Amino acid sequence: MSEPRFRIGPEIVHETVDGEVIAIDLGNGSYYSLAGSAPAVWELLGGGATEAEIGAALAGQFLAEASEIGAAVAALLAQLEENGLIVREEGSQSASPPAPVAAGEARTPFEAPRLERYTDMKDYFLLDPIHEVDTAGWPRPAV
Amino acid sequence: MSAHSAAARAAEADLAGAYFEQLRSGFELAAEAVGGPGRLDLEMAGLRLRLRYAGEPLRAALLAPFEHLAGVWEGEPELSISLFDTASSGVEPPAPLWDPIAAPPGTNPVARLRSERACVLAAAGSRALTAAAPAEGAAVFHLPDATAIPAGERAAPIREALQLLMAARGRPMTHAGAVGRDGRGVLLVGRGGSGKSTLALSCALAGLEVVADDYVLLEPGSLTAHAMQSTAKLSEDSAQRLGVPAAAIDPAGFQQTLEGPKKALVDIRTLAPGTLRPQLHIVALLAPTPPGLTSRFSAHTAEKEEVSGGDGVRSISAGEGLRAVAPSTIVQSGFGGGVSLAALADLVRRVPSYALELSPDPGANAAAVDRLVAELG
Repeated sequence: MSEPRFRIGPEIVHETVDGEVIAIDLGNGSYYSLAGSAPAVWELLGGGATEAEIGAALAGQFLAEASEIGAAVAALLAQLEENGLIVREEGSQSASPPAPVAAGEARTPFEAPRLERYTDMKDYFLLDPIHEVDTAGWPRPAV
Repeated sequence: MSAHSAAARAAEADLAGAYFEQLRSGFELAAEAVGGPGRLDLEMAGLRLRLRYAGEPLRAALLAPFEHLAGVWEGEPELSISLFDTASSGVEPPAPLWDPIAAPPGTNPVARLRSERACVLAAAGSRALTAAAPAEGAAVFHLPDATAIPAGERAAPIREALQLLMAARGRPMTHAGAVGRDGRGVLLVGRGGSGKSTLALSCALAGLEVVADDYVLLEPGSLTAHAMQSTAKLSEDSAQRLGVPAAAIDPAGFQQTLEGPKKALVDIRTLAPGTLRPQLHIVALLAPTPPGLTSRFSAHTAEKEEVSGGDGVRSISAGEGLRAVAPSTIVQSGFGGGVSLAALADLVRRVPSYALELSPDPGANAAAVDRLVAELG
């Protein structure tokens, strides 16, 4: 049985500025900051990746024991999945698996991935929900 | 049926486009019923915008905050919004395509019907109805009775129509104020209650230039923030602190807002004549933090003292700037008329971001803004 792949969720919009990822969940208004080595993980998730592929790619980028990186990646993926930022796909293939780091490329010190969650936008969703109207029936809550 | 295929079917039938046409026909009937439409031509965000209304009550209740953008131009408008109400004209809007939604007090749920061509928004709380064909630059707005307009609609008149039309012209509505001097200024960012309005009005009272306290139309490419309405919303506490005279406060007084404290509308033209500007060139983002609250922004660089001279302004990271402006902008434009996160990210990459720990002294805060704009040359 193949390892599950993880991808960024369909309702997540995100941008990276100055090494920090800002991700907003359009489904509930929560937003997130990813820092430390988390942006490197996030970049790999953009194309879909397994936990092992992410661990291997980070081991090529950062100076740390593979076990330390593996544990950090596993914990971050669990947090991301729990918050709905990523979705799990069983048995699917990546269009382009993460490329291994070329030999000789400088590795940098490993910084633990950090994920911060902000929920102060939830009020807007609770007060002004949007309900989609379509021919399949109504109302279908959009948020 | 999946959401995707349902949406595809709705688009195929173009129910939204048909509803837009029906509402537009309703406006024409209403205009005829009141003896012809009134007209207010504006120059908003560099575009020729024509507001047509069926009955003076609509102009009195909704359009006064746009008078400062009145313009005289030749030719056809690039954008048009037509307004009518049933009380003035006796004309009902088309039958709704949706069942009634419950709107508990203090909430304003919205029914949305959209297709590639058009978008219809029916607000259950305010009972405001907006239908727009953004690519055609046309929208129609309806209320049951313009003389009994809900407080929320008075504070943000025809906002959805403007948002949809302006976004289609590359000027998305952004949750930010803008203040400055000599045509250049800062974008005031942060969620509701962070102090944007208080700071914007402090600046107006100190003679700085003001575009808006809470919402601007942003042209990301040219870094320009454009004005919409001339009114600002202010809490009782802030009105007291700023010494706002009773004459400048809307007769409706302080009303409960969806987001929390009671607020009143203040017209900047009355409060600080001559300070409103149609646009400012943005040189930085500035996130105010209310007095007495711990700043959520961490110190970013040692530039702080160089830039501010110790007046409460300090540099924050681009990520923090993006976090201050993007979530509320994106979330509040959930119906499809908003600025993209990518555009806001591009903005924070191009201009620096700062935080301002607000002082209890409004004059000191305005002076800090003034110095920051001057120093960013």
